[in-house]
Amino acid sequence: MNGIRVRYKWEPYLWLLPSLLLMTVFVVFPICIVFKLSFSEISKAGVVGKFIGFENFRSAVTDKAFGVVMRNTAIWVVSVVGISTLLGFVLAMVLNCQFRGRKIARSIVVFPWATSLVIQASVWNYIIKFEYGNLNNVLLNLGVIKNAINWRASYQIEFAWECGVGIFVTVPFVMFCVLAGLQSIDGAFYEAATVDGAGFWKRLRRVTLPLVRPSLTVSTVLNIIYVFNSFPIIYTITKGAPANKTDTMVTFLYMRAFYDQQKGPATALSVIGFAILCAVAGVYMMLTMRGEEDL
Amino acid sequence: MANRRFALIVCLVSALLAAALLALPAFRFETALFSVKSGNTFVGDEKYLAKKAQAEDVLETCRESGGYGDVALREEVTERVNSKGEKTSMVAFSVTASRARSGYEFIASGLPSGRVLLALAALGALSLALLLAGCRKSLDTPPRALKAGQRRLRRAACFCALGALILVPAFVMRTTVYFGREIIALLSQADTPAVAVRVAAADGFLYGGSAGAEAASLLGGLQYRPTAYVWLLAPVFLCLLLGAVQLSEGELKRPVMRGALYLFVIAVCAVILYPYYVMLITAFRSNAESTDMYFRYLFPTKWLFSNLGDIVRRGVPRYLLNSLALSAGATGVALLCGVPAAYAMSRMRFRGKKAFLGFVIMSQMFAPVVLLVGISRLMNFLRLNDSIVGLMLINAAFNQAFAIWLLRGTFMSISSEMEQAACIDGCSTIGSLLHVLLPMAAPGIVTTLIFVFINAWNEYTISTVLISNAAKKPITVGITQFSSFNMIEWQYLFASALLATIPVVVLFMFIEKHLVAGLTSGGVKG
Repeated sequence: MNGIRVRYKWEPYLWLLPSLLLMTVFVVFPICIVFKLSFSEISKAGVVGKFIGFENFRSAVTDKAFGVVMRNTAIWVVSVVGISTLLGFVLAMVLNCQFRGRKIARSIVVFPWATSLVIQASVWNYIIKFEYGNLNNVLLNLGVIKNAINWRASYQIEFAWECGVGIFVTVPFVMFCVLAGLQSIDGAFYEAATVDGAGFWKRLRRVTLPLVRPSLTVSTVLNIIYVFNSFPIIYTITKGAPANKTDTMVTFLYMRAFYDQQKGPATALSVIGFAILCAVAGVYMMLTMRGEEDL
Repeated sequence: MANRRFALIVCLVSALLAAALLALPAFRFETALFSVKSGNTFVGDEKYLAKKAQAEDVLETCRESGGYGDVALREEVTERVNSKGEKTSMVAFSVTASRARSGYEFIASGLPSGRVLLALAALGALSLALLLAGCRKSLDTPPRALKAGQRRLRRAACFCALGALILVPAFVMRTTVYFGREIIALLSQADTPAVAVRVAAADGFLYGGSAGAEAASLLGGLQYRPTAYVWLLAPVFLCLLLGAVQLSEGELKRPVMRGALYLFVIAVCAVILYPYYVMLITAFRSNAESTDMYFRYLFPTKWLFSNLGDIVRRGVPRYLLNSLALSAGATGVALLCGVPAAYAMSRMRFRGKKAFLGFVIMSQMFAPVVLLVGISRLMNFLRLNDSIVGLMLINAAFNQAFAIWLLRGTFMSISSEMEQAACIDGCSTIGSLLHVLLPMAAPGIVTTLIFVFINAWNEYTISTVLISNAAKKPITVGITQFSSFNMIEWQYLFASALLATIPVVVLFMFIEKHLVAGLTSGGVKG
């Protein structure tokens, strides 16, 4: 048994106390406050009034932007998580090969993960500017295009760019999770498969995929949460303009709470977001706890 | 033997083919020598005929002068409906000179793209020469059994062929840029001798020097496009490359896969590094250069290190210090709370362990953004709004989950025998943690430390809501002062961004290896 003797029954709880205290005050309390506010009347000045039931939820859901925002959120999460999982997986397979310069390549791939989202988003915001953006400048200089292209001609295209930036910053995380999974695979599995005459695709499907599935599941679920909560990319590039058409849930919520001073509906939105995340969290818990029986 | 001979023949043929292709037209140039538009006419009426006669006159003159190559008359009819509802036409006549230039003419011209083509031809020839030298009297030996010298010659031939292949699109791009942008930009400049020399060179290349004074206007309206022959060079050099690879490696499949792998990795790295390149060059450009779409250079004409001085005056060091204090504090608090918790989780048995683990994972679900309203109220209540300490505690709290997770993984991977021995020797639990476990777990702890540090350093959303006092802003919030609604000072924005990015990227590169191990042992475990 990998453990040490405990002298008093309450000793372990003492060890947990600082962490528990910190998280209770700064994570659990805000959750409670948000829940309480979502059922209360809040004036523009921020004074909390009486209990009003589901009034805040009603005004949040009947907001004409709500449908667009929910659709955007779904597109945002599905496209960013889906595509970056695929790309991250391919990249991990490639970087798991032996080749010269692999260390350098792996160091370069972490760059987007290590950079602040607000900085990354600012740079891309500059790159795709129509009037003087660097993408047009570089392509013109290389002679690839003859006239400047408007890379943000409509809000749909701008939203696609935002998804692209989201993918760009998410791929490294997936890649590292999958790489961690790949490196723990015993080479003997592949040798055995090769001896049995399995080709590349068969080995991928029968050996690699089942063995990295745990890492892939965890990275996917974590990414769903991170991407759902991702704020700076959209806030920096379009601020949700025009008229909330490129907003996702979190940027919409932020605008409602801190620009329009509608804290009531904003907290209701928080709780809705919360419920969605709880569903995801439940799935995540089930998946992670499954292998933790040896606790 | 047979396939080696075949490969060598392929190489020979492709080299000869490339030499032949260079003699064929590589680019076609068209210039409008004269153009005239008729007003509202009908095709065939007087006005139309008069203009046509005028254009034909010019055509004759140009044809006689002889210096323009193929001269042709073009007629373009645009139909329109006038205010009375009648259908009329506008006819534009133009006399265009079209001229093709072969690869060898490009090389002889001394233009920038001619030099690219010269390099291409030289690499192709060198590749063939190396190959012939490398195969002399040894075509019978399989490549693996060759002497090192000959193998090396064949390898070098591969790289030369690869270089020539890459230079094909480079030549087309260089030509396009030269005639599309560089010459036109030169023409807009003042009459300096240097400009005159470049214009005369282009004139000599295109019109045999006969355009003279007209050259500037002719070059301004130049149309150009690469011919199919120049693109045919690419497959030809690919054949040369494949033949050389076959001769040098004895097989194609593995080296080609290898090449594709390198190509993919290089492409990925280029895409990833692109925003950092943009950040770097913009940080040291003037605002005029960074907001000029027609700026012709890929790097600043003059590296303006004074931008750094400017952002120092605008308070960026203060923001960096705030960020440093905030991240260091958050890391300290997170570890101070996280290490004991992770220790208990990995070494002790007690009731509610699973519940606590669930609580930790759950807290990971809730990013601060969703809780912003609650957090700002709580901070008001605690009188910690607009304070770095407040930010510190929040960052520490929201990073607890990851810290405990990584630390627990590290601790569990270390056997507890040493600690048990220390306990028997009379060491207290705390003593054994401090003196036995922590030193052994140092790599994992450093990883956690840096990870929390970077997360806190990069945090933006809570800070932007909680901090309004400019003197307390961390760098991520501070840089937004350079982008107001009506004007964005990109050079300052990116100079500060660069200062904020370099340290964390370097730190991250340090922990990259350990992070994978940490994720394997602690985080990612299904």
